[in-house]
Amino acid sequence: MADITKEISPLPDRTPEPVFSKDELVFTDEEKARLARYKAQYPTPEGAVMRGLWLAQEKFGFLPPEVIRLVADELGIAYAQAYGVATFYTQYYKKKMGRYVLDVCTCFSCQLCGGYDMLHYLEEKLGIHKGETTEDGLFTIQEVECLGACGSAPMLQVTNGPYVHNLTTEKLDALIDSLREGRMPPFVSVTLPQDEQELDGNRRSDAEATEAYVTPPVSETVK
Amino acid sequence: MEANNGQTKAGDWRTYQRVLLPPVKDLHRLDVYEQHGGYTALRTVLTDARWEPKAVTEEVKASGLRGRGGAGFSTGLKWSFMPPVDDRPRYLCCNGDESEPGTFKDRQLMEYNPHLVFEGILIACYAMSINTCYLYVRGEYADWISHMERELEKLYAKGYVGENIMGTGFSTDIVIHKGAGAYICGEESSLMESLEGKRAYPRIKPPFPAQKGLWGYPTTINNVETLACVPLIINNGAAWYAGIGAERHPGPVLYGISGHVNKPGVYEYPTGMLITDLIYEVCGGIRGGKKLKAVVPGGSSTPVLRADQIEGVTMDAESLREAGSMMGTAGMLVMDEDTDMVSFLRRVTHFYHHESCGQCTPCREGTGWLENLVTRIDEGEGHLRDLDLLLDLCTQMEGRTVCALADAAAWPVRHTIQRFREEFEARCKPSVFPTGDGAPAEAVPAS
Repeated sequence: MADITKEISPLPDRTPEPVFSKDELVFTDEEKARLARYKAQYPTPEGAVMRGLWLAQEKFGFLPPEVIRLVADELGIAYAQAYGVATFYTQYYKKKMGRYVLDVCTCFSCQLCGGYDMLHYLEEKLGIHKGETTEDGLFTIQEVECLGACGSAPMLQVTNGPYVHNLTTEKLDALIDSLREGRMPPFVSVTLPQDEQELDGNRRSDAEATEAYVTPPVSETVK
Repeated sequence: MEANNGQTKAGDWRTYQRVLLPPVKDLHRLDVYEQHGGYTALRTVLTDARWEPKAVTEEVKASGLRGRGGAGFSTGLKWSFMPPVDDRPRYLCCNGDESEPGTFKDRQLMEYNPHLVFEGILIACYAMSINTCYLYVRGEYADWISHMERELEKLYAKGYVGENIMGTGFSTDIVIHKGAGAYICGEESSLMESLEGKRAYPRIKPPFPAQKGLWGYPTTINNVETLACVPLIINNGAAWYAGIGAERHPGPVLYGISGHVNKPGVYEYPTGMLITDLIYEVCGGIRGGKKLKAVVPGGSSTPVLRADQIEGVTMDAESLREAGSMMGTAGMLVMDEDTDMVSFLRRVTHFYHHESCGQCTPCREGTGWLENLVTRIDEGEGHLRDLDLLLDLCTQMEGRTVCALADAAAWPVRHTIQRFREEFEARCKPSVFPTGDGAPAEAVPAS
């Protein structure tokens, strides 16, 4: 018989030791002005909570309770509401992540085009499982749901920022090397197949890098 | 209706001239967009006395434009649900959440032709006398959000957005709202909850958004691609638009084709294209010269079609309904003969389990059980009776929740099992019932 008195899953600690000291928990005047601007864009201050949490995450890296409280206080809304929002959306990090978070898509098209191969390759290369952070604090790997780049599957996103399309193992090696040197991948505009014929390639001249459309040579089975 | 005066039928797709993403270099820049006739539709509706707000709505209604976000509802009709103007605020939401697996078309519009979206938003605001539009873009599209914010700043500087647009006395603000990673926010009522700064739990309908929307005020929610069609309708007329593609589901459409094809990507063609044309002509066929096994025509929640079911089926709501599927977002996934349908379904059920917001029990628990059962079958531990249990579970989920996520999770399970039953049965152990008298258990044969 199973022990029914045992907790099925451990409840989160409601009052963890604060990560940030009181002196660290302040917004600069510039950040306060940005928050005020967000607030003005919505009829109620609650509307600005998502923008506020984004701002706080950019500043602090993740959102422990004391940071969520800081955002709530600055916007003048209930802490409970801000906490509820922060815990609902997956892109808000509730725990400390690596400096670079590699969100590998394995959903739907990416699954069929080798997303799992890419995920497992990264896991082996970095010696961690998905959801874990390397010991040097540089990389976290996450398996994520559809990122809306199915035509260039498999793909990943680096720390809620740039997309890396049409992944291959060589591309992953190069990406990890450049991230170790502190270089984020540039914005890559994937050429529309019709543009290739009618415009001779990508239509955006300002995109930092462009690449012709390729079907990546990866596994075609699902497993 | 015959194809004439420049109108394109789906059969003429080879000569189709793109209008949503016309072949112009750097069209995403305001100056280039204006050189190519940008913002003339907006100027026309704002200055020409013929274009009263009501006339714009009527024109959109006459064009037959149907929402491109998945449900395929008539856009003009939706606009006409807005109550008469009173002293209450009114809102427009442009839905750029685009999280349906297999869908990546709105991102291409934001990347290559954002001003067409802005112009569509402004005309829609004028048609419904709205002064604020929230453009909700999913948080993952951070790069595209910053591109669009840059272009929006130019629009404010030029007086195309904000107070007294083009000196006509009409004012509208556009606010780009960055989401933070939740599939459910693509559902219109949960998008509104999210904008209001809450957990994105869908609302019960009625009341519909036109009666009680954002902050309780009249609101209309349209998809990015839907609004991008509006300036085209104003410039070229409703009859031109209605003449493109399928008769009852007209217009240009962005087909996002992914999976095992030689040239995946977003293609702009008329509605009503043959699925076989899209796969074999447009995308260059299945890669590796393999055979086609299945097609998901419009995003992960639309029912999968077997290769033998797509003969003669066209990409429009009517034809796909007859074939037993849906148009959805036109985000098509193509699977070759090597695809493992059980494993595929396992990943799809995992997606819906992950993305269920947790508000309604049938969905919160049901999506989890769908995933558990399909996982068990995938790992070879399932029994034949699990298949019927899965179908039963689908029946218990469909139509029993506040929003359509439970239905969206149940449909792929139901139809993938029904259409690939042998493959699932081959992975299952026979169902074994103990006889109770100590005799060996008896195996129940398949089917």
